[in-house]
Amino acid sequence: MVKRVLLFLILLSALSAGCGTRSSDVRLVYGLTLTPSGIDPHVHASSELGIPLTSVYDTLVFRDPETGEFVPGLAERWHVSQDGMVYTFHLRPDVTFHDGTSFDAEAVRFNLERVTSPDLESQKARFMLGPYEGTEVVDDDTVRVRLSEPYAPFLDALSQVYLGMASPAAVQKWGDEYQLHQVGTGPFVFAEYVPGDRLVLRRNPDYAWASPVYRHDTAQLEEIEFRFFTDPATRSPALETGGADVMGEIPPQDVARLEEDPDFRVKPVPIPGVSLMVFMNTARWPLDDARVRQALLYGTDRPAIISTVFRDTSPVAYGPLAAVTSGYEPEVRGTYPYDLAQAAALLDEAGWVDSDDDGVRDQGGQPLALDLYLMGWGYMPEVGQLLAAQWAELGVDVKSQVVSYPEALEVAGEGRHHLMPFNLSGSDPDILRKFFHSQAGFNWSKVDDGQLDAWLEEAARASDWAERTALYSRVQLYVMDRALVVPIRDYVNLNGTSDQVRGLRFDAQGWFPWLIDVEIEAR
Amino acid sequence: MAMSYLGRRLIQAAFVLWLAATLAFVAMKLTPGDPAQALLVASGATYEEIAERRARLGLDDPLLLQYMRYLLDLLRGNLGESWLHGRPVGRVVLEQLPPTAILATAATVVGVCLGLLLGVVAALRRSTWLDKAATTVAVLGLSTPTYWSGLVVILLFSLRLGWLPATGEGDLRHLVLPASVLGFALSGSVARLVRACVIEVMEESFVLAARARGLPAWRVIFVHVLRSALAPVSAVVALQFGFLLGGAVVTESVFARRGLGKLVVEAIMWRDLPVVQGVVVFGALVYTVVNLVADLVQAWLDPRLRENLT
Repeated sequence: MVKRVLLFLILLSALSAGCGTRSSDVRLVYGLTLTPSGIDPHVHASSELGIPLTSVYDTLVFRDPETGEFVPGLAERWHVSQDGMVYTFHLRPDVTFHDGTSFDAEAVRFNLERVTSPDLESQKARFMLGPYEGTEVVDDDTVRVRLSEPYAPFLDALSQVYLGMASPAAVQKWGDEYQLHQVGTGPFVFAEYVPGDRLVLRRNPDYAWASPVYRHDTAQLEEIEFRFFTDPATRSPALETGGADVMGEIPPQDVARLEEDPDFRVKPVPIPGVSLMVFMNTARWPLDDARVRQALLYGTDRPAIISTVFRDTSPVAYGPLAAVTSGYEPEVRGTYPYDLAQAAALLDEAGWVDSDDDGVRDQGGQPLALDLYLMGWGYMPEVGQLLAAQWAELGVDVKSQVVSYPEALEVAGEGRHHLMPFNLSGSDPDILRKFFHSQAGFNWSKVDDGQLDAWLEEAARASDWAERTALYSRVQLYVMDRALVVPIRDYVNLNGTSDQVRGLRFDAQGWFPWLIDVEIEAR
Repeated sequence: MAMSYLGRRLIQAAFVLWLAATLAFVAMKLTPGDPAQALLVASGATYEEIAERRARLGLDDPLLLQYMRYLLDLLRGNLGESWLHGRPVGRVVLEQLPPTAILATAATVVGVCLGLLLGVVAALRRSTWLDKAATTVAVLGLSTPTYWSGLVVILLFSLRLGWLPATGEGDLRHLVLPASVLGFALSGSVARLVRACVIEVMEESFVLAARARGLPAWRVIFVHVLRSALAPVSAVVALQFGFLLGGAVVTESVFARRGLGKLVVEAIMWRDLPVVQGVVVFGALVYTVVNLVADLVQAWLDPRLRENLT
């Protein structure tokens, strides 16, 4: 009798074990790398929030990552006025939010007004809208947005998750707890969020308005769970132990091991924006002398840095814009090749010689000492260390210190630095204006050229892409010609996946996956 | 006029809380960097827009006014709203409390058990190789950085052997590695204290008397010796537990767990003053309560201390 019961139980557990593994066919665990302090895309600035939320929300337009063109999203078609200040969107009539309410022109107006309201204290979305003035509902499916001046990056802004369309009913219902109960129109529904622990998305069965940029009409996965892996050293172990199926930001030193393992794949995605570059403070002696700055450029062995710090997973940067960014000027390639002799000659010419034979050049009793401020993330400390070593060979004494981001901003604002590296991502070349306009918040080279300002302002207003490209080309060549920065590398997000994951592709921002297209093979 | 013990302790607690709140305020104000700028400059906000936000956050007001407003809010139980999260500080802190408390409790249990074991063994076999070995283990606990030991246990037990999950929360299995790592670090101080206490108590005449009466060694140890040693040890354990309730940022990061440690470090990085103050005040509150409980427990365990209560 006992034996029969035992046998029955064994059979039962065997059967249920078989059933258990089936549910993992359409479920995926995605590793995030930063715990965002908040995940309301209208409010918060973290790019991490966009990884899950890009699939919870649809945007008015989408941007094709390969061609850079804008394709229909929630708007079937749109029209921009001749003066570039009025955008009219004709919306799809068949769209509903996850809570059943309809998406219409009033919803668009509600969303844009929410983003721009001072009470919301938006940290990013509001500023992406630039000279936004107001929105008018023309009819249920037509909405008109007015700007106070032409703003070329406007459509690019509207294609990003930060301007995704949220359900007005849900926003009004949940108030300042909305971020825990988000409602969009996207291929996945926001199911659960425990801050710092996990975020769960479930397939939206009613999704019937997929943008042509998507490869599928509806989500292929039933459920996606996002977990946080803030420590870089724990990311590949998590992938390798099955704790995650997809993991972003794998450290370069773990890539080789993952690539050799047949159970895993590495998918490097280059991110558009400005490259990781070291800003040289042209307003502070001795970097006010262009020859010293050029010497630093010639004295930088960038391939060595790429190889040592980034294990050759990133391309070398030759200019301020990353090569995948639209508007990139290829002519910057090959400028300032590594040439120690040329660098030394320039310093000699500028009057810097090692008169007391202590290994550091000097002039008028002053050593060639430069203050390098490093922030603790993005491999900046490691890059800084290598640069200091390389420039020491030139007889330059680099004093480095690691500072937090707010402190770095203060130091740079006061111009107390000589050198400071940074990088920032963005799909529109207008990002250059944040760094090289005389009034820009990140003008760390302390450049103040009316001509440069004019090009950047004009490019932000021009509606013709060819005109914009021509202007940005001049800006990039100017930056390198005047030796304002030392470009190091283009940012590449190293994603690791198990080899059962298929169809993973990223949007025009590079960071955000289009989860509708992701499939996972049965185990 | 004789004030009750409890009354005195409450006044002390209020003073400690005020001191903690003030120190947090001063420390954050002395740290370079502007919160409004840090939050907005990367988004392309203009100088005017950043100034507008700064004024909204009350950062343009004179320091004394900011301080008074902060203290008054605190008295009313209002911890304010996080500048970074955009949500009330109380809620943000409370969300991180359960995982922090769970890890703190588990780590304390591991630390106390391991510490007791090491301490007793070292004391009973004093000056032998066993004593040296146990003491070495205790010192290793004190000196090994949790970042290193955390990664090593993940490598061994998760990657190589596959016995336990590497990261995350979930169930008891997820707690084993982080609690062990943190507990090991704790056990060091517990072990050395236990060793010293046990040695001291063993010399006392009542122990000799118990042994002379023929009581078995284990009974002597557990019932009499440890009972006496427990008082000072529980004081240390209470302090450690209170400390852990403030979060263990390294362990939390390595094992991908939520916690107050990570919360406050991030808040400091972004100059999110309301959250930093909220966590500090909360930590001070917890510490004060835990200490009070520890003192009461000690007095219960050791009657000689009870006269302090009158």
